[in-house]
Amino acid sequence: MCDDRSRLLHKLQAEDFAVYEAVLYLDGHPDCRHGLAYYHRHRETAMRLRAEYEKKYGAITNTSVCDASHFGWIDGPWPWEKEAN
Amino acid sequence: MWSYDKKLQYPVKIKNPNPAIAKVIISQLGGPDGELAASMRYLHQRYSMPYNEVVGILTDVGTEELAHLEMIAAILHQLMKGASPEDIKRAGMETYFVDHTAGLYPQSAAGVPFDMKYVGVKGDVIADLNEDLAAEQKARVTYDNILRLVDDPDVRDPIKYLRQRELVHYQRFGDALRIAQDRLDSKNFYAFNPAYDRK
Repeated sequence: MCDDRSRLLHKLQAEDFAVYEAVLYLDGHPDCRHGLAYYHRHRETAMRLRAEYEKKYGAITNTSVCDASHFGWIDGPWPWEKEAN
Repeated sequence: MWSYDKKLQYPVKIKNPNPAIAKVIISQLGGPDGELAASMRYLHQRYSMPYNEVVGILTDVGTEELAHLEMIAAILHQLMKGASPEDIKRAGMETYFVDHTAGLYPQSAAGVPFDMKYVGVKGDVIADLNEDLAAEQKARVTYDNILRLVDDPDVRDPIKYLRQRELVHYQRFGDALRIAQDRLDSKNFYAFNPAYDRK
């Protein structure tokens, strides 16, 4: 995988991680304002990074494919391959 | 339903294949305290859970365990990829290879296939959440033992990440147990099972 793609992927993974960590906390503390603010802040960044990644390198989910002539979802490398990381 | 993200939760990039290490790490795929057991345990406990916060925790931790199952699979796949029959024999993996080649079959390090007997669904709030707290600690110990046995920093890095997640999940199940107990009869937590009895 090219360095730019790898760098962008790692940034997205870090932001998605922050969101998910907040989710697990908020499940048990649904009225915590600080937790919710943290969730919204990271969610916004994660969505922006996800859109940027998908535009440059292809869909992350099978419902976000934009190509008109080829269903790029099936293109490798797949996440478990060394080249995808 | 679930949707799939075409990326790992945390990167796995192993430069040197090494089937001898895969032989022990496979326990976190299909062993008694592995990620498949973890995901099945939480995702099946949630249906009888009477408290929304706890249903949320079981759903979201259970879903994260599926992502960890995929990370363990990525580690195993990369450790076994390209290994010759000689490499497999040197690693003592020929008894696995003869049945599964380089495919990933959920089993323990000792070769026992995955079994739902590893998973407790008692349908009782306190019993199930205490099972979950114990399960997170047992998984943490397995990761500690893997870290005692593995030197390769490319493998240790994602394993350390997974070990840390066990600690965080333990904290979240602590939240869940506190929430559940706060809603039970303060004189006797065991007076009735809120997942089944009606007060």
